[in-house]
Amino acid sequence: MQKREKLLKEEVKKLLDKKQVDMVIGYEKGTLALRTTPCFLASVDDVDRLVWNEFCENNLAKYLPGRKEKVAIVAKGCDVRSIVGLIQERQITREQIFIVGIPCEGIIDRRKIESRLGEKEILEATCENGKILLRGEDFQEILKKGDFLYDSCKVCKYRNPIVFDLLIGDRVPELEKIDEYAEVRKFEAESPDERWLHFQKEISKCIRCYACRSACPLCYCEQCFVDQSQPRWIGITDNPSDVGVFHLFRVFHVAGRCVDCGACSRACPMNIDHRWLLKKMEKDVKELFGYEAGLSVEEVPPLATFKEEDPQDFIK
Amino acid sequence: MSEKVIQKNKMVDFLNELLKAYKVFAPVKRDHIVSFDAIQSSGEMLLNYLNSRIPPKEIFFPRSEKMFEYIRDDLIEVKEVLPSEERKVLFGIRPCDAKAILLLDKVFDSPDYQDPYYLRKRKETIFVGMGCDRPQSTCFCTSLGGAPFSEEGLDLLFTNIGDRFVVKGITEEGETLLEKYEQVFERAKKSDLDDKLNVEKEAVNRIKSKIALEKIEKRLDKMFEDSFWDRIYQKCLGCAVCTYLCPTCHCFDITDETMDTSGERFRAWDSCQFALFTLQASGHNPRMSGKERVRQRIMHKFNYFVKNYGEIACVGCGRCIKNCPVNFDIRQILLELVS
Amino acid sequence: MNPYLPHLAEIRKIIRETDANDVKTFEVVFLDEAVRKGFRYKPGQFAQVSVFGVEEAPISITSSPTQKGYLEFSIKRMGTVTTALHNATEGMIIGVRGPYGNSFPIEDMEGKNIIFIGGGIGLAPLRSLINFMLHEENRDKFEDIMIIYGARSPGDLVFKWELKKWEKREDVNYFVTVDKGDGKWRGRVGFVPAVLMEVAPSPKNAVAITCGPPIMIKFVIQNLQELGFTPEQIVTTLEMRMKCGIGKCGRCNIGSKYVCRDGPVFTYKELQVMPKEY
Repeated sequence: MQKREKLLKEEVKKLLDKKQVDMVIGYEKGTLALRTTPCFLASVDDVDRLVWNEFCENNLAKYLPGRKEKVAIVAKGCDVRSIVGLIQERQITREQIFIVGIPCEGIIDRRKIESRLGEKEILEATCENGKILLRGEDFQEILKKGDFLYDSCKVCKYRNPIVFDLLIGDRVPELEKIDEYAEVRKFEAESPDERWLHFQKEISKCIRCYACRSACPLCYCEQCFVDQSQPRWIGITDNPSDVGVFHLFRVFHVAGRCVDCGACSRACPMNIDHRWLLKKMEKDVKELFGYEAGLSVEEVPPLATFKEEDPQDFIK
Repeated sequence: MSEKVIQKNKMVDFLNELLKAYKVFAPVKRDHIVSFDAIQSSGEMLLNYLNSRIPPKEIFFPRSEKMFEYIRDDLIEVKEVLPSEERKVLFGIRPCDAKAILLLDKVFDSPDYQDPYYLRKRKETIFVGMGCDRPQSTCFCTSLGGAPFSEEGLDLLFTNIGDRFVVKGITEEGETLLEKYEQVFERAKKSDLDDKLNVEKEAVNRIKSKIALEKIEKRLDKMFEDSFWDRIYQKCLGCAVCTYLCPTCHCFDITDETMDTSGERFRAWDSCQFALFTLQASGHNPRMSGKERVRQRIMHKFNYFVKNYGEIACVGCGRCIKNCPVNFDIRQILLELVS
Repeated sequence: MNPYLPHLAEIRKIIRETDANDVKTFEVVFLDEAVRKGFRYKPGQFAQVSVFGVEEAPISITSSPTQKGYLEFSIKRMGTVTTALHNATEGMIIGVRGPYGNSFPIEDMEGKNIIFIGGGIGLAPLRSLINFMLHEENRDKFEDIMIIYGARSPGDLVFKWELKKWEKREDVNYFVTVDKGDGKWRGRVGFVPAVLMEVAPSPKNAVAITCGPPIMIKFVIQNLQELGFTPEQIVTTLEMRMKCGIGKCGRCNIGSKYVCRDGPVFTYKELQVMPKEY
């Protein structure tokens, strides 16, 4: 980790020094334990602020659409897939961005740790050799990193970025024998009533802050349908059908585009599991169209195009 | 005002007594999240908690609420829907959140217009505060005139001194409660009161975030056009986590929900951080980008609100810091502004 | 008193104002007689108008308090509420609550020369004050009254039925202009700010009140200053998205002001110290 961070700083310094890019989007130390925070660096002097560690949870691709300058972006495997999506959808050009790919062995899920510790405040967290060291005012705790990764990281198939201009450090081994749809199959086995209940329970936590949408790199619509009021597409109250419509529409809107970076769930202040439905949609798209999002800049997402061989069983 | 002591094992009795006479709101934990909710039994209440994720403002200013109903047939009939005026106890509110309610009062109970939806819920409520013996690293109430054991806005204040609480009656309402349920309370010994002072002192010392905000309003007077905002807004995602979880934010939207010949008017939380918050019907939007919206949030709390109501609209609870998806930390912004 | 509850009112009359039919004037009467009597407003104030089943929108009151027993709203078709009103027929019941906002500083204007400068639908709030001042009870309180009004085309002029009355009055200095004429237009052609320079009213003991499209207001204010008007002598009204109308919901907040509560009428002097966020 530290080696990679050092390497990252060296490479980024070169990029800014040689004026290959106008700005670098990366992570810097946050103000809270278990966190880092996005940073935007334009000067070589600032590069030492950059960090790379198991707490770099944000998907920085969010900050790309609409940029005018040439930017370098620090991107994990999942983040790179979002960037590919943004290029496919012409939100940025490949030439405009310099992808500083960074192999990743999984990001730590702060919520899982906080839930484990209950009402104890963590003041400091570090991660070394697969162990998370936590310190609070009157306690210390060591946890196994593997037990506290984000769910999306546990089933990640692209720990090494697939598209990049520069890769920081050696590749990491990809996970083997992962069953990424185990949860989806459970859901599929449920009866419609059970699924509905499951869905209702999950969204009943929603306060409609739209952090899930705001954190999603693919939610870049200039005007999101939930914000529009002339006319309104959905009601603004906590009526379950309105809340449900928001979540369902979002899932449909990112179908075949979502790369399971987990940004939506990480951003949610109410611990809603957004991935649960997204993963189902991902599986459906894979089965119907043989497509996996964010793997090739040249490809067109299946729901943005029509091919004669597309399944048409729905036409009765 | 008098001070009593209650043994922790008597808390159940006290809550049960209260439940007989009042609707009791208390911190509860559901799906790992602490929030204030109406409890049915004393066992539901959490005694050991840092603070709720959603501030207790939602009891008086819920995320959405019905304002009136109407029928629109040949004739139109409007039926006012007001919350019932029930006697409530808000048990376990932290002093920072109690102060926040006083700030909301300024808005919803202003001399020109009184907001009946807020006030009817607010009026008959007794505030039983739980002093904050474990302020978090994100707490900065003392920079905003508050304190972990501030009595402002409370009727009773509980201080945790180990196996028991010292309970102080602050208002007449609070005193009445102490008298009414005297069977669960004991006389406070000198040592209890000493313990209380120590706990309070220690709590204050635990607050490490200190920002000299005395001049922030004046400073911001000159900051509107500053390039400062260009720099700081960049990482903000434009979601409403900070404003929805803020105990003093109170922006709302109003809308109608209709079915054939009947309809209802609702209001619901809204946020100045949303892109279309100020979009006019003409298509003009005075706050075009995240920069203007982040600026609005800071300016409103630390300048505009001060000019209107004489106080900063922030109590230093730290919720916006803890829950921001990108760790946007308002303390850093404030420190930079006052330095 | 619940300030959010609308009073029921009937649309008694609808007047089509423009050729494009995008502006209509609605004559509205409260159903309840006590409300009718109790609804006291001043020129410059607005009301929240509800179309049941749609929503609510802030609309300036264009009638003058001297017109007793009813209200008039002139409304351009823009969003959902105004579109619903445009689709309305006479006899429809709507909701009205208010009046809200400050008003034109009428007392400060007494004994002064008054210059009205309006553009398009921006004449609607001015009309309330114009008719108030021209009313026989009030006319003596004000000195010379000048009205400069313009629209994009002759078909876009609003209140044509009333413009004629103002034009005929000896005690009104009246100028009407259009950006672009049509075959029949015999009047003045030119932008409002240019006409203002042409007629060049004196700033001496005068107040100028302007309302119209933002770009027009901008140039009118510039030109007024060139003519020697001080910022205190220039009065305008602001438009912002509003919801509650009573200074609580936070939407129309500009600086420490709430346009619904502290406005919508501001002097240019007041605007100068407010953030340019409108």
